[in-house]
Amino acid sequence: MKSEILYPGAFPMVRVELTAGEHIKAESGAMVACSPTIDIESKMEGGFLGALSRKFLTGEKFFFQTLRASRGPGEALLAPTVPGEIVILELDGVNEYMVQKDGFLAGADGIVIESKMQSLSRGLLGGEGFFILKISGKGTLVLNSFGAIHKIELKPDQEYIVDNSHLVAWSSTTSYNIEKATSGWIASVTSGEGFVCRFRGPGLVYIQSRNPGSFGAWIRQFIPVSE
Amino acid sequence: MMSNALCFGRDYPASGAPCFVQVDEAGLTIVFESTGGDGDREVAPFAALSVSAGGLDHDHLVVKWTGAQGERTLYFKDPDAIRAFRQAAPGHLSLPFAQAAELVRQVRQRRRLVWGLALGMFLSTVLGLWFGSDLLVEIAVSRIPVEWEQKLGESAYRDFLAQQEVIKEGPAVAALGEMTQRLTEQIPNNPYKFEVTVVKSDVINAFALPGGHVVVFTGLMKKADSGEEVAGVMSHELNHVLRRHGLERIVKSLGLLTVVTIVLGDQQGLVGMMKQLSVELLTLKFGREQETEADVTGLQLLQRAKIDPSGMIKFFERLSEKDEGRMEWLSTHPMSTARAERLKAELAALPKKSPELFTFDWKQVQASLGSQPVVAP
Repeated sequence: MKSEILYPGAFPMVRVELTAGEHIKAESGAMVACSPTIDIESKMEGGFLGALSRKFLTGEKFFFQTLRASRGPGEALLAPTVPGEIVILELDGVNEYMVQKDGFLAGADGIVIESKMQSLSRGLLGGEGFFILKISGKGTLVLNSFGAIHKIELKPDQEYIVDNSHLVAWSSTTSYNIEKATSGWIASVTSGEGFVCRFRGPGLVYIQSRNPGSFGAWIRQFIPVSE
Repeated sequence: MMSNALCFGRDYPASGAPCFVQVDEAGLTIVFESTGGDGDREVAPFAALSVSAGGLDHDHLVVKWTGAQGERTLYFKDPDAIRAFRQAAPGHLSLPFAQAAELVRQVRQRRRLVWGLALGMFLSTVLGLWFGSDLLVEIAVSRIPVEWEQKLGESAYRDFLAQQEVIKEGPAVAALGEMTQRLTEQIPNNPYKFEVTVVKSDVINAFALPGGHVVVFTGLMKKADSGEEVAGVMSHELNHVLRRHGLERIVKSLGLLTVVTIVLGDQQGLVGMMKQLSVELLTLKFGREQETEADVTGLQLLQRAKIDPSGMIKFFERLSEKDEGRMEWLSTHPMSTARAERLKAELAALPKKSPELFTFDWKQVQASLGSQPVVAP
């Protein structure tokens, strides 16, 4: 799987080149265009129960697409639903990433996707819900975000504070605690930050430059109310 | 060689360098992937190492040391590597090892505890609502004045009568009047004014509305063999009213939110809602518990009024064994032999009283209603 980001910025696409017989998985509905040599199958990754838990627990789609180059080599164009940047990661079999529920776009066949339950405090206050995706395995992983993606590199024991709804993905060697944004409860709410995540390295944290929830709230005021 | 760990340091990428950790007597040998099998390797003696638990769920073993290239941090969670390390590690590492393991256990335990508590609270709330709702309903019902109940029943009664033919006078009305009088005389502190209406319909049915309206269908009167049997049904229906069963059902169907409102006061806002629901009263089906209660208290009332209670049991039994085609009374009052048996047992426990007969002749009452009902196949 060779991949390349086209039109980087707000409305990017990923071009994925597949050799004959190779297949990748992608978020359901991600395929924009592809060579005639490629077959699209829908597949319940992790079996029926796994798919069911992913659907109900993480809000991710029940089916993943499988794009298979069954009739010779070809390419496919993939795009996410929301405007925002795409990032390509290479997993080496040791690295593991936690990905917030809408972050997955596509992955090589060697990528393993599981739903994982967070601790209660992280689930309630972390902004990602109780269930996140744990992505491990070997191969290329394509993530999407809302807005631009920014990578934070943390050295061992280095700390960084991230507003909870801006998280896209983080490596499992990092750990984080949920904290109030300011020392007082009222100031935490009025500062507009509420709760933040204090990350501790080593590892990588990918954040998105826009907060989908806030954007939704902002846009709601312009939607005419139907009678 | 498959990597089993990530090594962090100043000269490695922030995501960590994949590497393979080997354990021997002297310490750890770390072979880096990028340079092939025999390229870049580092040796870390046990004496220089410190261990702890780390990572998102504290499930990684973290080994730190300062080597020739500066500070190094190794993250791994491969169980085989951890086991090998633990077995080979000298004494000074066993304490931190135990502490790291303890931390992992604590984190997992705490997480289980928190989830358990959250689940427990959720379940106890659900169970509390489930089992406590009866008590709440009782409290709520006891706070609704009888006048309200009468108004409610009144509006439902009028809605019902609009579509029915009522028998206003004659032997049947007089006979039911006598039964009602004998029964109500035996009710101490009766807040209700019972009014019995005879409706011309072949449906074998009778029902009571909150506030005291009792409707008896002529079909039921034709079906009964004696006045005592009808009096049994009447006694049962009167006790539905006295026990405020209809109100209980309304309050239950209005839901818990309303119950809370009533308990807290603010009854005014509910009148509109309750009026709408009053229509549903006509199709009201009483719960089994309420049926049993009305049966037992009805039997006791018959006994006090010196009306032969075996009539009630006989009528129930007859309804249960014969055709079920048009017996609506039966469908809203689930009949079973167990119910009749229970009533028999209750009757046996009551002191014997010599019954006083009614003044009317039942056959004449029935004759005034016209022909026998058509029995459904």
